[in-house]
Amino acid sequence: MTTDINVVAADEVVPAAPVAPVGRVRRRPLKAAIVAGLLAFLLFGLPPLLDSFWMLVVTGAVIYSMVALGLGLLIGRVGMVSLCQFVLAAVGAWVALRLSYATSLPFPVLVLSAGVVTAAIGTLIGLPALRLSGLYLALITLMAAGAITIVLRAVLFPNGGGGFFGNSAAGGASSRMPRPSLALGDTAYFRYCVVVAIVMFVLAAWHVRRKPGRAWAAIRHSQATAISAGVNTVLYKLWAFALASFMAGIAGGLLAASAGGVSVQQFPVETSVTLLAVVLMGGVYSLWGAVVAAFLLRVLPALLDDWGVSTELLTILFGIGVLQVLMTAPGGLADQVPKDLARLARRIGRVFSRRETAR
Amino acid sequence: MPGLDDFKPFLVLGLALGGVFAMNGVGLVVLYRATGVLNLAYGAIATTGALISWSLLGGVNQWIAYAVCVAFAGVVTLVYGLIFGPPFAARDPLVKATATIGLLLILLGTMLWVWPPSTTRTYILPTRLHYYEIADVRVNWTQILGMIFPIVVTAGTAVFLRATKVGTAMRALANDREITAMLGVPVRRVEAAAWLGSGIVCGISGVLLGDLVGLDIVGVTFLVIPALAAALIGRLNSLWVTLAAGFVIGIVQSCLTAFNDVHIGTRPLADFRTITPFVLAIVALLFFARRRPLVRT
Repeated sequence: MTTDINVVAADEVVPAAPVAPVGRVRRRPLKAAIVAGLLAFLLFGLPPLLDSFWMLVVTGAVIYSMVALGLGLLIGRVGMVSLCQFVLAAVGAWVALRLSYATSLPFPVLVLSAGVVTAAIGTLIGLPALRLSGLYLALITLMAAGAITIVLRAVLFPNGGGGFFGNSAAGGASSRMPRPSLALGDTAYFRYCVVVAIVMFVLAAWHVRRKPGRAWAAIRHSQATAISAGVNTVLYKLWAFALASFMAGIAGGLLAASAGGVSVQQFPVETSVTLLAVVLMGGVYSLWGAVVAAFLLRVLPALLDDWGVSTELLTILFGIGVLQVLMTAPGGLADQVPKDLARLARRIGRVFSRRETAR
Repeated sequence: MPGLDDFKPFLVLGLALGGVFAMNGVGLVVLYRATGVLNLAYGAIATTGALISWSLLGGVNQWIAYAVCVAFAGVVTLVYGLIFGPPFAARDPLVKATATIGLLLILLGTMLWVWPPSTTRTYILPTRLHYYEIADVRVNWTQILGMIFPIVVTAGTAVFLRATKVGTAMRALANDREITAMLGVPVRRVEAAAWLGSGIVCGISGVLLGDLVGLDIVGVTFLVIPALAAALIGRLNSLWVTLAAGFVIGIVQSCLTAFNDVHIGTRPLADFRTITPFVLAIVALLFFARRRPLVRT
C-alpha cells in the first residue's frame, strides 16, 4: 500500500532548491543600492503621484506582500503548502478589531497582538498535520480556510456591538480600526505600512540566513536526514508555520485600519487559492517573489479594471501560471524575469558587437 | 433544542447532499489510488459542466444537455490527465495536487467570465418534480438519485477494481507505477481510464449538485472540500469508508440546520453547520496520526 498517509514528501513543490548560504554572505553593493533606491521611491516618490484610489490599492499591495512573504517562506524554504494563509489575514484583522473595541491599547500593540494570536491559531491548524505528509497539511489548511471563512461570514467583523463577537446590525457592513496618531492620513498610513513591511522582510531574511533557514533547508531536503543530523524538525516546522501566520496576522491588523476598513466580502474563499497561485508565480525562493505576488494580487486587477478588461481573465492566467511554474519555471517570475532580461541584453549586445565587427 | 420530528426534512436533504459528497469522494479516491493525483479541481469541473448544460437547456433536448455535462467533465478530466499526467507522474502527491489548483483557477476564471454571477440561474431536473411522502417528509427523485447513485458507483467501482483486467492494473498502479510498467501494463492507458472514469462521476455529481444546491459558481466549486474530507476519512484508500463518511458529513451538516435556538455567542449553531467536514476530517486525521511513526521509507 503506497497510499499511506504518513509517508513524508521526498519531492518538493518546486524542485532544484538553492541551499541557504552558510556563514558570511557576500555583500552586493549594487543590489543594496537598488533596494535602497526602490524603498526611497516607495516612501517619498510614489505617494504624490497617486490619487486616493490608487493609494488604497498600493497600501493594500504593501500589506499583502507580507501575507505572500509568509506563504513564500513556507513553500520555498520548508516545502510546506498552506492554503489558509489568506484567511489568517482575516483572522488578524478580526483580532485587531476586537481588541481595538475592547481596550484602549496603542496601535502597534494591537497589531502585534493580532500577529501573536494569529500565529497561535495558525500553529494550531498546522499541528495535526505535523506528523503527516505535505499533501495532508495542504488539505487540512484548505479545509481550515473554508471553515474560518464560514465562521467569519457568521460572526462578521466586530463593529462596536456587544458580546464576544462584538458585531451589531446597526454598526454597518465594514469595520475600521482607528489609525495611530502619527499616521492619520492615507499617505502617512501608506508609509507606516511600508515600514512595517520592511521590518517583516528583514525578519524573513534573518530567518533564511540564520539557523532556522538552515534547519528548514535540511527538513525540505529530507526529513529523515534532518532528524538524524539532530535538527528538531517539530520545532522548526511549527516555527515556520507560526512565523507565516504571524506575518498574516500583522498584515490583517494593518488591513483593519486601511481606508474603507474590512468587511467579510473582502475575504472570499477562492482568494486563498489565488494567493497560492500568485505566490508560486512570483517565486518562492526569493523574497522579491512576495513583492511580485502582491503586485499580481492587488495592483494588476486594479489596473485591468481601469483599462476595462475583465479581471476574471487574470484568474485564468493565474491558473496557467501555476501549471507553468510547477512544470518548467520553479523560481517563478522573480527568478525568471531577471534571467530573461539578462539573456535579452546579451542577445542585443551580440547583435551590436556583430555590427561592430562587420564594419 | 429541536425535537426528533424537526430533523426529518433535514435528514433527507443531508442524505442526498451527503450522497453526492460521498460519490465525489469515491471519484477522488479512485483517481488518487491509480495516478497519485488528488484532483482539487473536481468541484470546478462539475460546476462548469452544469453551467454548460444550463446554457444548452433552452435550445436542445434536456437529456442531451445533462449528457453534455457528464461528457464535458469526462473529457476535461481526461484531457488534463493526458497532458499533465505524464510530466507530473514522478513528482510528489503534493505537487500533483497543487497543479490541479491551476486547472481549478482556469475553470473558475472562465466560469465567472462567461456566466457572471450577477444573474440568478435555476437548474431543475425533471426528477425534482416527482416526489413521495415518506413519514410526512417530501422526498423527490433527485434526492433519491443522490442517495442511490453513490452506492451504485461505489459498488460498481469496487467490483470493477476487483474483477476486471483494467481494475487490477489500477490496483497495481496504486502499489508501484514503475514495477507495473515493467510488467507490461500500458500504464498511460490505464491512467487515462482512471481519469475518464473519475471525470464522468464528477459530471454526474455536477448535474445533481446543480439541482440540489443551485448554480452558485464559487459555492459549488468549493464543495470539493466536503468530498475531500470524506476521502481523507477514508485515508484516500478505502472506497466504503469514504462512502460512509460522505453520508455522515452530509447528514450531520444538514441536521445542524435544525439547531436554530442553540446559540454560540449571539449566533445560532445552524450558521456554523458547514464546518462539519473540517471538524470530522481533523478528528479522523488526529486519530490516524496517533500511533504512526513520523517517517516511513
